[in-house]
Amino acid sequence: MSAVAPARPGSAFLSGILRDRRAALGCALVLLACLAALAAPLIAPFDPNDPDFAAILSPPSAVHLFGTDDLGRDTFSRVVYGARVSLFVGILSVAGALVAGTALGLIAGAFGELTDRLIMRVMDVIFAFPSILLALAITAVLGPSLSNAVLAIAVVNLPVFARIARAQTLVVRRLDFVEAQRALGFGPWTILFTTIMPNILAPIIVQGSLLFAAAIITESYLSFLGLGAQPPTPTWGNMLKNAIGFLDLAPWLAWFPGAAIFLTVLGFNLFGDALRDIFDPRNT
Amino acid sequence: MNRFKSSGATELGKFLLSRLLSLVPILFGTSLVAFFLVRLIPGDPVIALLGLEANDGAIAALRAKLALDQPLPVQYLAWLGHILTGDFGRSIQGGREVFPLLLNALGPTALLSLAALIVSLVIAIPAGIVAATRRDTAADYGASFAALCGLSMPSFWLGILLILTFSIALPILPASGYVSPLVDPLGFLSFLILPALTLGAALAAATMRMTRATMLEVLRSDYVRTARAKGVPWRRVVWRHAFRNAQIPIVTLLGIQMGQLLGGVVVTETVFSWPGIGKLTVDAIFARDYPVVQGAVLLTAVLFVLINLLTDLVYTLIDPRVGLA
Repeated sequence: MSAVAPARPGSAFLSGILRDRRAALGCALVLLACLAALAAPLIAPFDPNDPDFAAILSPPSAVHLFGTDDLGRDTFSRVVYGARVSLFVGILSVAGALVAGTALGLIAGAFGELTDRLIMRVMDVIFAFPSILLALAITAVLGPSLSNAVLAIAVVNLPVFARIARAQTLVVRRLDFVEAQRALGFGPWTILFTTIMPNILAPIIVQGSLLFAAAIITESYLSFLGLGAQPPTPTWGNMLKNAIGFLDLAPWLAWFPGAAIFLTVLGFNLFGDALRDIFDPRNT
Repeated sequence: MNRFKSSGATELGKFLLSRLLSLVPILFGTSLVAFFLVRLIPGDPVIALLGLEANDGAIAALRAKLALDQPLPVQYLAWLGHILTGDFGRSIQGGREVFPLLLNALGPTALLSLAALIVSLVIAIPAGIVAATRRDTAADYGASFAALCGLSMPSFWLGILLILTFSIALPILPASGYVSPLVDPLGFLSFLILPALTLGAALAAATMRMTRATMLEVLRSDYVRTARAKGVPWRRVVWRHAFRNAQIPIVTLLGIQMGQLLGGVVVTETVFSWPGIGKLTVDAIFARDYPVVQGAVLLTAVLFVLINLLTDLVYTLIDPRVGLA
């Protein structure tokens, strides 16, 4: 039996992505959305909020690739700038839920039954609401805005991370290397965040990549219902809300923002599926 | 034999009781969320509940009813007492009782949810079985990719595309609206088709993936291999042996989806002006009609919890491998 050097996780991940055509497509779509968000001022030919009353509801053309809306604003430019809001809300809400949920799950799993019960019952209550309804209720109380949409989406995703982190912590805390740290006299918080946490992160990151797609859809729902970023800030959801009033006159207003949400979410779903397969120990 | 039966019934009784008891803290928590929903709105909760144009008498009466001069726990108990007797307060718009408003909206939501569930089953079960029995063929890849697309498509965009196609390009179905099935059954069906397709498509995607995965697992099992070795025709193996056993996780998923439908209807009902609980909630949010928002949030959460409980029970009852412990 020959000795084989273990592959580096980074290169295994990259080769996994490149081997899988679905994952490569997912990566390409995600990169496209990121590029649109980062380079919006360079890509967009017009200011997204600049009205042109001579070009109201113009169909797609060489000048206006995706046509114009009821104020003559360039739909292509608005779709490109809309990527910023979607990705911003997606990153911030999932990162917030991931950090807070992981911390709560770690504490629940490591600090005895009473703390565990208290934290997990609160998580159960959040889980007891359909997510879009809870997000709606939170934005209804706090008022419609981009930051409140981020907060609402983070709160509804909190229990997902808390449950995974808790389950993983319950397993890892009994392993020998954690017991060894305890025997060496390290404090509970040090063990929790320097030893246990790095060992429970893989499934949490995979879940984060899958929830990113869900967060983008939830943001589009909130914007569509008028509870996300407020006009004139272009978001894909509020562009579709606006398009409803002009479906018979200007159907293109509905085609492109919807397609942008669909392709971005598809990209994250494909990427998340691939990530799950790569990290799944049954596939090694 | 009887001894076993009665012991089984006792086990089931104990299981039911423990599951019902486990709901108590969750229902308590959801009631707290609904209670604080109005308390967290900046300003006076009485003004939030009655509207800016309320007169002094009504304000004083509601302040006394809600025990607002008492500590928070007393306020909560007073509020809970009213809720448990069906007194959800009055809508700011029109002054109607909230509870009958919610009950009236539940009917259209239930009909739409049921129709969406039927649409999803009609699409997903055959597609999932075909994908599993023809694994790694074009049919499998096509069905699996379609399911992924279904999961990635925001339901309101699909709704808009359906309106563009069937109400504007080929004007054969109404774009929005509702008529009671008791008044005009055919008219009701014509209004129902597009929202049911919209809501059903997203459900179909998840159900198809579950059907495919479960069928693949069952088709690899020993009893299926034995049935094939005995010469049982393939079609019979698929339907009588494999699909019957694959139904258990699918039924569970359907239960979970029934709960998720309560969230999904919010956007679909808004797109199609369907007068259900989702549209009622959204309209109430924009009208700042907080008694209705509070009632709708509480009622939906309670229904969501009860449907999840029912799913758990059905799962336990239909699969003897799942213990009652």
